[in-house]
Amino acid sequence: MSEPLLKIRNVESYYGPIMAIRGVSLDVHAGQIVTVLGANGAGKTTLMKTISGVMDPEKGQIIYDGHEIQGLDPYKIVNHGIVHVPEGREVFPLLSVNDNLTLGAYTRNDAAEVELDREMVFTYFPVLKARRNQEAGFLSGGEQQMLAIGRALMARPKIMLLDEPSLGLSPILVQEIFGILKRLNSEQNVTMILVEQNAMIALNLADIGYVMEIGRIVMSGTAQRLLQSEDIQNFYLGIKAEGAREERRWKQKKTWR
Amino acid sequence: MNVQKPMQDTSALPETHFVNGMMLNKDLTARPAMIDNCDTMPKLFALRCKNNGQRTAHREKDFGIWKAYSWADFWAATSQIGAALKSLGLNRGEVVSILSEDNKEWAYFDLGIQGIGGICSGVYTTDSAAQLAYLLQDSESVFLIVENDEQLDKFLKIRDQVPLVKKVIVLDPEGLHDIDDAQIIFLDQFYEIGRDALKQQADLFENAIMRGAAEDTAMLIYTSGTTGKPKGAMITNENVMAATACGSVALPHLSTDEQLCFLPLGHVFERGTSISGSIAASTIVNFAESPETVFDNLREVSPHIFAAVPRVWEKIYSAVIILAKEATPLGQWAFKCAIKVGMAKAELIYASKPIGLWLRAKYVFWDALVLRNLRIMLGLDRIRRAVSGAAPVSPELLKWYLAIGVPIREGYGMTENTAVCSVNTPDATRLGSVGKASAGTQARISDAGEIQTNGLTTFAGYWKNPQKTAETFTADGWLKTGDLGVIDKDGFLTVTGRIKDIIITSGGKNITPAELESELKFSHYIADAVVIGDGRKYLTALIMIDQENVEKFAQEQKIPFSDFASLCQAELVTNLVGVEIERVNQNFARVEQIKKFKLIDILLTAEDDELTATMKLKRGFVEKKFSNLIDEMYT
Repeated sequence: MSEPLLKIRNVESYYGPIMAIRGVSLDVHAGQIVTVLGANGAGKTTLMKTISGVMDPEKGQIIYDGHEIQGLDPYKIVNHGIVHVPEGREVFPLLSVNDNLTLGAYTRNDAAEVELDREMVFTYFPVLKARRNQEAGFLSGGEQQMLAIGRALMARPKIMLLDEPSLGLSPILVQEIFGILKRLNSEQNVTMILVEQNAMIALNLADIGYVMEIGRIVMSGTAQRLLQSEDIQNFYLGIKAEGAREERRWKQKKTWR
Repeated sequence: MNVQKPMQDTSALPETHFVNGMMLNKDLTARPAMIDNCDTMPKLFALRCKNNGQRTAHREKDFGIWKAYSWADFWAATSQIGAALKSLGLNRGEVVSILSEDNKEWAYFDLGIQGIGGICSGVYTTDSAAQLAYLLQDSESVFLIVENDEQLDKFLKIRDQVPLVKKVIVLDPEGLHDIDDAQIIFLDQFYEIGRDALKQQADLFENAIMRGAAEDTAMLIYTSGTTGKPKGAMITNENVMAATACGSVALPHLSTDEQLCFLPLGHVFERGTSISGSIAASTIVNFAESPETVFDNLREVSPHIFAAVPRVWEKIYSAVIILAKEATPLGQWAFKCAIKVGMAKAELIYASKPIGLWLRAKYVFWDALVLRNLRIMLGLDRIRRAVSGAAPVSPELLKWYLAIGVPIREGYGMTENTAVCSVNTPDATRLGSVGKASAGTQARISDAGEIQTNGLTTFAGYWKNPQKTAETFTADGWLKTGDLGVIDKDGFLTVTGRIKDIIITSGGKNITPAELESELKFSHYIADAVVIGDGRKYLTALIMIDQENVEKFAQEQKIPFSDFASLCQAELVTNLVGVEIERVNQNFARVEQIKKFKLIDILLTAEDDELTATMKLKRGFVEKKFSNLIDEMYT
């Protein structure tokens, strides 16, 4: 296989004295969707923030397309083509949909191309076109998520970092958004790193999966392999092994095999 | 059962004397084996409860707070258990199995079962449902005690295979409130049954205890069985009393001692330390919350008595080494100096040479500055009786502990001799040996090099298995340990390995893998190793790396890895282990050296067949499971 587009090597990040990620290494190849699964506090969001430059790693390298980008300012990382869609959407509530999208293209100065991209976003998310002049704060949760993704697309990303796009959305909306992500990946060739709690939908979308637990990767493999793993089924997919009793309070120990 | 033992005239009781606060037979081989005129543990237990009354007997954590329980509580619970078992139909000589982690109820049931005349058999919580079925069937258990819902589910899965089990008693009802099953009783109801029975006949339990005889089987201890099915070793009352008396002479428990109980109580090592030893000397036993919290509990309790397996000592050692690496430069320097002085002192102690005044002064200085704090931090500052047993420990490790002021006594024993054969004592210690044969025990080496022992601690035989029993005894009634060893001119015993583990290479060289393996394990990057080479041209090894320490190393060396498998595949990790193997190889002749090795790239847990409950690799299972890795090393 060719050289990975993004290589993360032994990254450690801290919140003050607390080590949130303790030596994470992973590879992302161009065109892939890579998902990072894990429970609350596993360090998934920290990993995303460290890649996008919001946090600086204490140790380790992040190599994008042959350049070390760890510790760069976030805007420089956006210029490299890595865009972060943060957890909880974080759209600018008092700005219109249109202005939100314009801000997504803030680092670019090719006005004509930006307009084409805006149209492209509207073809993927027609609902945004209908509400282009509304303040973003008045959009529904699902629409805000679409806007956050659309805003990221305006930077013409090579890699999109998606932090829990399914958060707080109805199942039907989640289906819709993941469908669009799939299309963006195949049609626009956007490489994605997807952080999710909803393991089923994430593994169905992704090519490769990593499982994090308290700051470390404990399991990795193709999405197919992870879907079949007993531990993943037990702990992330809610599939219970046949037990002797109906209600079972205890859980098998995880082995991550 | 054991007809080989010569019976003595029991009408004249043997001469006694006081040792460490108890009255023992002067001659520990004389019958009946007695402590304070009691010839069974339940009798001694009854005596201790009566005399100690409101004194603390043990502590256990309840919602994070240590709670104390007195000897009176101990007696109340135990007598209710005995009475309840009796009224539910337990007959003398029938077996009751306990499937639980260590807790106070484990001790209550152990004595309740024995007191009422039953036989207590422990099952490891890491055993699978199928293993539980085998143990219940083989022992013909009529009652089963389970800790909680998780363990109960194992029983429910196999209940149709064990028709002899009358009732199952559940200790912790959490999550089981809506269960409606006539076969299952919760602990509260069970105590109620016991209280009712005692109301009818108050001295029911005491009477049953008094009926106990020295030759009755007190417990079944299933041996781990690396080959074939586990066998239940019958330990009699006499065995227990003799073993406890021998222990009280060699390495005594004192009534002022605190101890920490954390190894499985079903294992003879912890049973002897935390139940028999503790009752005989009236120590305070602190039950660790769980196997995962042992090191925290150790710090909280700071016990006088701590008996552990080598793996635990190794873990504490590597935790200290890692901590030292992360200290400030000044701290690192001080630690290095302190260890250097400590090691110099330890060398002299082990060589039985006098320690010079200057070295003594230096040790006092570094002890006050560094080592004392280290001991406090580990929870070993009050340690008086530190023991390592159940597996060979590296001499280097013992030396290091002596250097920091924690003298660990390595002992040797097995289930079949109630864990008493030999032990290093403060008066007689030799590094690398397992000490002299304990008072009351004899040891000899057969022509084939096998260690054989004799004494009142020798078990009565395997449960319902006369064939295996016969195979375990020599013609003159000594126990065949299956271990190889030598006894030097001063009487110190050294164990070199298991007979059935001997490797004969295709070149005809006999090799005992345990020697190589225990040296390998001293590396804090290697958790365990299995040396292979029977019928092969050269020796190889399968290595289980220490996850925590190797991850740390990889992190420092910037070796990228994601999960455990990828860690094992990293070239620098392989090189790291290679260096450790090279280091060990230097101590051995060329034909005894390890030529190739592979890392086991699956993180094994205690639930896996490949590991024993004390996290040792089982040779047979490992060889089978990783045969592909082994074949790769010989192609």
